[in-house]
Amino acid sequence: MSEALLRVRGLTVAFPTASGPGEVVKALDLDLDRGGSLGIVGESGSGKSMTSLAIMGLLPKGATRSGSIEFAGTELTALRERAMRAVRGDRIAMVFQDPLSSLNPYYTVGTQIAEAYQAHRRGVTRRQARRVAIAAMERVHIEDAARRVDHYPHQFSGGMRQRVMIAMTLSMEPELIIADEPTTALDVTVQAQILDLLAEIRADTGAGLILITHDLAVVSEVADRIVVMRDGDLVESGTAERIFTDPREPYTRMLLEAVPRIDDEIGLLRTTAGEAES
Amino acid sequence: MIRFLLNRVAGMVVVLFLVCLFTFVIFFVLSPDPAVQVCGKNCTTEAIDQIRANLGLDRPFWTQFWTFLSGLFAGRTYGTGANAVECAAPCLGYSFQSSQPVTDMIVQRLPVSATVAIGAAVLWLLAGVTAGLVSAVREGRFADRFIAGLTLTGMSIPNYVLALALQFLLVVTLRWLPFPHAVPFGEDPVQWFMNFLMPWIVLAIGAAAVYTRLTRANVIETLQENYVRTARAKGLGPGLVWRRHALRPALTPIVTIFGMDFASLLGGALITETVFGLNGIGKLAADSITKNDQPVIMGVTLLAAFLVVVGNMVVDLLYTAIDPRVRVGSAT
Amino acid sequence: MTFTPTELEVEGAQGGEAARDNAPPSPPASGRRLARAFLKDRAALACSVYILLVLLMALAAPLIVKLSGWGPYEFDQSAVDPDMAGLPLGAAGGMGAEHWFGVEPGSGRDIFARIVYGARVSMTIALSATVLTSVLGVVFGLTAGYFGGKVDMVVSRVMEFLMAFPALIFMIAVLSALPAENRQFLLVGVISFFGWPYLARIVRGQTMSLKEREFVEAAKASGASSGQIIFKEILPNLASTIIVMTTLAVPGYVGTEAGLSFLGVGVVPPTPSWGQMIASSVPWYAVDPAYFLIPGACLFLLVLSFTVLGDRIRRLAETGGARA
Repeated sequence: MSEALLRVRGLTVAFPTASGPGEVVKALDLDLDRGGSLGIVGESGSGKSMTSLAIMGLLPKGATRSGSIEFAGTELTALRERAMRAVRGDRIAMVFQDPLSSLNPYYTVGTQIAEAYQAHRRGVTRRQARRVAIAAMERVHIEDAARRVDHYPHQFSGGMRQRVMIAMTLSMEPELIIADEPTTALDVTVQAQILDLLAEIRADTGAGLILITHDLAVVSEVADRIVVMRDGDLVESGTAERIFTDPREPYTRMLLEAVPRIDDEIGLLRTTAGEAES
Repeated sequence: MIRFLLNRVAGMVVVLFLVCLFTFVIFFVLSPDPAVQVCGKNCTTEAIDQIRANLGLDRPFWTQFWTFLSGLFAGRTYGTGANAVECAAPCLGYSFQSSQPVTDMIVQRLPVSATVAIGAAVLWLLAGVTAGLVSAVREGRFADRFIAGLTLTGMSIPNYVLALALQFLLVVTLRWLPFPHAVPFGEDPVQWFMNFLMPWIVLAIGAAAVYTRLTRANVIETLQENYVRTARAKGLGPGLVWRRHALRPALTPIVTIFGMDFASLLGGALITETVFGLNGIGKLAADSITKNDQPVIMGVTLLAAFLVVVGNMVVDLLYTAIDPRVRVGSAT
Repeated sequence: MTFTPTELEVEGAQGGEAARDNAPPSPPASGRRLARAFLKDRAALACSVYILLVLLMALAAPLIVKLSGWGPYEFDQSAVDPDMAGLPLGAAGGMGAEHWFGVEPGSGRDIFARIVYGARVSMTIALSATVLTSVLGVVFGLTAGYFGGKVDMVVSRVMEFLMAFPALIFMIAVLSALPAENRQFLLVGVISFFGWPYLARIVRGQTMSLKEREFVEAAKASGASSGQIIFKEILPNLASTIIVMTTLAVPGYVGTEAGLSFLGVGVVPPTPSWGQMIASSVPWYAVDPAYFLIPGACLFLLVLSFTVLGDRIRRLAETGGARA
């Protein structure tokens, strides 16, 4: 563990509503070391996705962000849009939940991988960008990449599409990859492959990883540290090992119990809904 | 791809056949006896019978329909012996009024209608898409609301009212434009342009309003797509995000509607051509309606249906060229 | 052309989208909130007032005409100048205490009376056409969507065929070929014949998705007949879509009727209709602008009112009145 890659302090995201600003993320603190991996876990509506969009500076219209986001020594909240754009995609890359709708159906996957590279590297020829795209696709184990590079998103299966999305982030060799529910839209068997791929890439490139999910089982395979969020608040944070073996907050314990295990008896499966109140 | 094409063509042929049948039934079965009309005043029963025989009206319905259809493709001959008149394909018959071949009458007037349609189309596309984009970018602001008001007005004003109001305002009161009269382009391009300006505006306004709303809705919807967010997350500049990821998906559906609208306009702008006295297909149709000149009305109707059906197919083909999801089969 | 199918198609697509997003529809308790939101909207209110006014005018035409003093078919030769080719005497087309909106050049018929009676014709035709299209559209759309299979295929093909048709020119062709008696019925029939697929297509789509919903499954499981399911479960859920679509269709039909009458294949003279009045004003537009401006403005405002109203109702249906 060396220097800090990401240091978030007091991050608050608010939306204007009829009854004053509604805060979806409340004074959140996060830390991620260079090359480390962090899992943000919470149910939908817990503010985990808004946290990632706030870091990227991609909050939807009308949302306001306050607090500090320090990335590799740079205060992101102080950056102008143009400077932030240089960071986006190049140094921080993002993988989204639904790979089909996250890829533009009108362009080949090659074009979509290459355009990020071209946007950040001045004076790159199209041929060079294409080579980078093919290399990135090979790296995420897409077979026959030289031919597949000219295919359109709808010609790929769900898992392959997500690989394309990951290839897109890889082409820039970012220092931080944020993956927002990267496996939710996929089959269970494919989920494991994508998680393996993320872990492999992290090991190869030394990039930091933030994995956002509602599923503790997913996090357990990839993350060193875990942050549990609920309704915009941080519930508990700690090393993955500690959270799994010794959860301190009842909410965390409840999330853990919701993870189905092989040795569970059917009757012991619990839902989070009613239990949370007790 | 080839099967898709064949399917489309087959569908087109069926629709066109039904259009022919429909038109034929309406004009030759439901309407008053054409022979009486051809004969005119001072007609005798023998004369009517003679005309009926010439037009083939004494034969059974399907025979008549077949003659009509084959006339379209191979031409037909009216009458027999010395009185026989050869009508070359595509034969739409002869006008009851002027005795001219309907096909010739239509072909003569096609250039005017095409000029009207092309000018109006250019105008409404430019105006509609521009206004729609401005509206989408300034969503909820003053410009958006102002344009929304304009589009509602544009959609609601009947084009003949607009035509009369414009003519009254620009020609009679303000005298900015000369009184409309047809001049060939080669003779006096300025006068030619002035002459077509009002018809173009009148035809363009309603369509421009519809295109504005469509463009606005599509752009706003596309900007909320996940792939636009992906493009931003890649660090693309706003120019590139807009041009590449927002505009193309947003404007593609407009191609469909444009093809249809343009095709139906080519078949004649009845009201506008009549009001401005432009000698196009629309005016031909309107005049024939007043004179109850059935072969001409029928010819124009068939042409319009043909254009719409063909336009429909061209749009479909165009779509396969611009939308990769249609072009290359389903997921592998 | 006054009737562009794509216009309706566009509206239809949007309206359909909206209602689909909105499902399940908001509970009936929101009715009052909707009404309040509606009353706050001044433009919508003004439009409703104008429409009501025209409706009232149409209903009470004989009474109103008695008040104004001139019937729609009465000639008043004293109001026109025979030396000026029958141009109305006095300013603004002969407007004054005697003839409120002036007189027709040539015949001297009272324009106000003809507007009032014209409203009757225009509204009757437009509203009847709307009712007929809605009935046809809902019946065919529901049947196709609910039963699917062969029924759906046949209905869908017919719809495609009708929508691929150049509707306006065909309406003209049909109307010009058919005898002039009972023109008003013919008009309604022809307009509806080409109009219903636009509603039916959307009703079909929504029925297909509603059919898969739990409450329909539940009704089916508890032994409800097809008829019961259609009328008790599906139809109520389609209500908002149908209302929005029909409101948006009315201005199209008002315009179509006027356009057909303008072209001389609509309402037969001397029965007045607004479109026909505008048509007869064409030769006079330069010397007697009031003659086309009055029916033109009345028609424009009516179409505008219905369009704005439809637009607002759709927006209310979309947001459920929450933000309005």
